[in-house]
Amino acid sequence: MQGKGVKRPRGEMEGGEPEPRDPGAAPASSLFNISMVKLHQSLRRVEPNLRHLVLVANTLRRMQEQMQREAVGPAAPDSPEAPPVGDDLLLSTMDTSISTILEDLGQVEALSPARPEEEQPLAGASGARQEPARTSGPCLGPLELLSSASYLLEDGLEDIFEDIDTSMYDCDLWSPTSLSGFKAFSGAEDSDSKALAGAEDRLDMSDLDYLMDVLVGGHAL
Amino acid sequence: MAGVAGGGGGGGGNDFQWCFSQVKGAIDEDVAEADIISTVEFNYSGDLLATGDKGGRVVIFQREQENKSRPHSRGEYNVYSTFQSHEPEFDYLKSLEIEEKINKIRWLPQQNAAHFLLSTNDKTIKLWKISERDKRAEGYNLKDEDGRLRDPFRITALRVPILKPMDLMVEASPRRIFANAHTYHINSISVNSDHETYLSADDLRINLWHLEITDRSFNIVDIKPANMEELTEVITASEFHPHHCNVFVYSSSKGTIRLCDMRSSALCDRHSKFFEEPEDPSSRSFFSEIISSISDVKFSHSGRYMMTRDYLSVKVWDLNMENRPVETYQVHEYLRSKLCSLYENDCIFDKFECCWNGSDSAIMTGSYNNFFRMFDRNTRRDITLEASRESSKPRAILKPRKVCTGGKRKKDEISVDSLDFNKKILHTAWHPTENIIAVAATNNLYIFQDKIN
Repeated sequence: MQGKGVKRPRGEMEGGEPEPRDPGAAPASSLFNISMVKLHQSLRRVEPNLRHLVLVANTLRRMQEQMQREAVGPAAPDSPEAPPVGDDLLLSTMDTSISTILEDLGQVEALSPARPEEEQPLAGASGARQEPARTSGPCLGPLELLSSASYLLEDGLEDIFEDIDTSMYDCDLWSPTSLSGFKAFSGAEDSDSKALAGAEDRLDMSDLDYLMDVLVGGHAL
Repeated sequence: MAGVAGGGGGGGGNDFQWCFSQVKGAIDEDVAEADIISTVEFNYSGDLLATGDKGGRVVIFQREQENKSRPHSRGEYNVYSTFQSHEPEFDYLKSLEIEEKINKIRWLPQQNAAHFLLSTNDKTIKLWKISERDKRAEGYNLKDEDGRLRDPFRITALRVPILKPMDLMVEASPRRIFANAHTYHINSISVNSDHETYLSADDLRINLWHLEITDRSFNIVDIKPANMEELTEVITASEFHPHHCNVFVYSSSKGTIRLCDMRSSALCDRHSKFFEEPEDPSSRSFFSEIISSISDVKFSHSGRYMMTRDYLSVKVWDLNMENRPVETYQVHEYLRSKLCSLYENDCIFDKFECCWNGSDSAIMTGSYNNFFRMFDRNTRRDITLEASRESSKPRAILKPRKVCTGGKRKKDEISVDSLDFNKKILHTAWHPTENIIAVAATNNLYIFQDKIN
C-alpha cells in the first residue's frame, strides 16, 4: 500500500489475488513467494512472532493442499498457470520443512528457564506447576534438511544459531538467566531495583549457594 | 445528524452527537517509535485514564472536578502521573532484547486512597501503586528542614512534628514484580472478580497469579504440543468473567473461543464451552484463517455476552449459544477484496481491540485512516468517525465519515485506495458509565464525549 492519497493502478491491485472459487485458476505463485519470504523473515528473528509464524505456515499449507489437489485433479496439462514441476517437489517437501522449522523452534525455546518439555502436570487440588531448574540443556543436533528444500531452511536456521556459543550451555546451572531467575524470587516483596539488578549482583552470588538451593528445591525458576 | 451511543444511565431515544474534547500528544509529523500508544484503559470509576506506550511509559490522566459555573462542560482529563513502567531488558540466553512496550494495562478496583494497576510487557507483569501525598511533616528532632542531621548534643528539647500541607505529589511505586513465568509473548492480563487473583496469557499458556505472590503462578491452560512441529494454533486473548470468578475465556488464531471453568480441573485444557462459527464456504480463500484470527475478546458488563474482534468484523456471542454469534457487525468489509495486498504489507496481521459502553448497548472498534466505528446494538445503526487534528476544535461535532467502495465517489467520501493504512486505531476505551471515549491514534490520544441535544 502506498502512503495516503496515492492511488494504486487498478491492474496492480487486482493482480496476484487468489480465486480459489474458480478451480481453473491456479493460486498466484507470487502469493506463494510472498509467503516464503515472510516465513524466512520470521525465522530470521531470534524470537519470532509465534502468531505471525503459525498463520503464515498454515496459509502455506493451504496453498500446498490446493496445488496438490489441482495436480491430481483434471487440470489441463499445458495450462500456463499450472505450477512448474519444481514447485510440486518443493511443495511436497514444504510441509515437512515447516514442521522441522517449528520443531527446531521448540528446541530453541526449550533452552529458556521456563518449564521443560517433559514436565508432567501435578495432580491434586493445588494444580500448581512449579518450574524446576533445568539441569541439562537439550542437544542441538543436526537438522534433517531435505535437499530440494534446503534453500528454504539454510538462511533462517543459521541465523538462529550463529550467535549462540553452545559451549556456554554445557552446564546449564551456570547460565546467567537461571541466576537472574533465582534473584527475582529471593524475596516476597522484591522492589524492582532488586529484580532488575545489574549483572554484578548475579555474578557475585556464590555458585555453591545456588547449587544448594536448587538441590533443596526451594526456588522455582 | 444522529450519532451512535448508549446511555450510561439515561434512556434510549436521545440523539447523540460525538464531539471533540481533548487531544494529548505531540503534533509532530515525525513520530518517535517510543511514543506510540500501545494500550488505553479507564479505571472502574472512569476518573482515571491510563495509557501505555512502546517506550515502556505509563501516563495516567485524571478527570478534573466539574466546574459548577459551567454545568454543561464536562471535566477535562489532565496528566496525573507519568512513570517508566518497564525498561528494555536483555535475555542473555537468547541474545535478544526484551521489548519494553506496554502490551496491556488493567486497573484493580479501588480499595483505599491509593490506586493500583497491573502493566505488562512481553514477559513481565508489574503491580504499581499510585498514591497522593499532599502533606509533609515538619519539625523533626533529629534533622533540620534541609534534611541535614542535627548534632545530637545540640538537641535540648523534644518536639512533636506537625503535618503541613504541600503541593500535591503523585507517586508511582512498583509493589510486585511477576516475572519469569512466560516463555512466549504475553498478550493479555485480566483481573479476577475476586480481586485477589489475575491471569496472564501468552501465545501458548495461561497462568493464574495471586496478587500477593510473585514467585509462583499456576498454569491453567497449556496448548503447547508435545512436538512443536504440530503447532498450528496460538492463544490470542484471554479474559476473566466479570462476575464468576471461576470462569474465563481465551480466543485463538483459528477464530475459536474456549470458555473454561477452573472448578472442573486444575489444568483447564478441556474447555467447558467451545464457540466457533462455521466457515462460509462461498467466501473461502487462502486468507480465511488469518482474517478469522481473533485479536480481542471482551465480556459485556452484564456477563451474559462476549464480543470478539477478527480482522473484518466484530461478533457478539451469547454465552449460552456456542455454534454461532448472535450479532455480527462488519467493520470494513471493503477490505475483503484487498486482502492480498494487506497480506503483502502485513496489515492483515494488525490486532484491533474492541470495547463495550457502560450499558452494553453499543460497541466500538478501530479501523484504518484513523477511522473508528461504533455500533448501536438496539437500533442497529452504525457510524464511522475520524480522529484527526482537523476536527480538533473544542466541542466541535464529529462528522460521520464514509468510505466509497466503487463507482462514483461522492463529495466527502474517501475511496478505499486512498486510505492511509499506517494510521490505524488499534486501541480504544469507553468510560464505564458515561459517553466519553478515548481513542489512541499512533502517538496521540483523542478524547471525545457526547453532546446531548
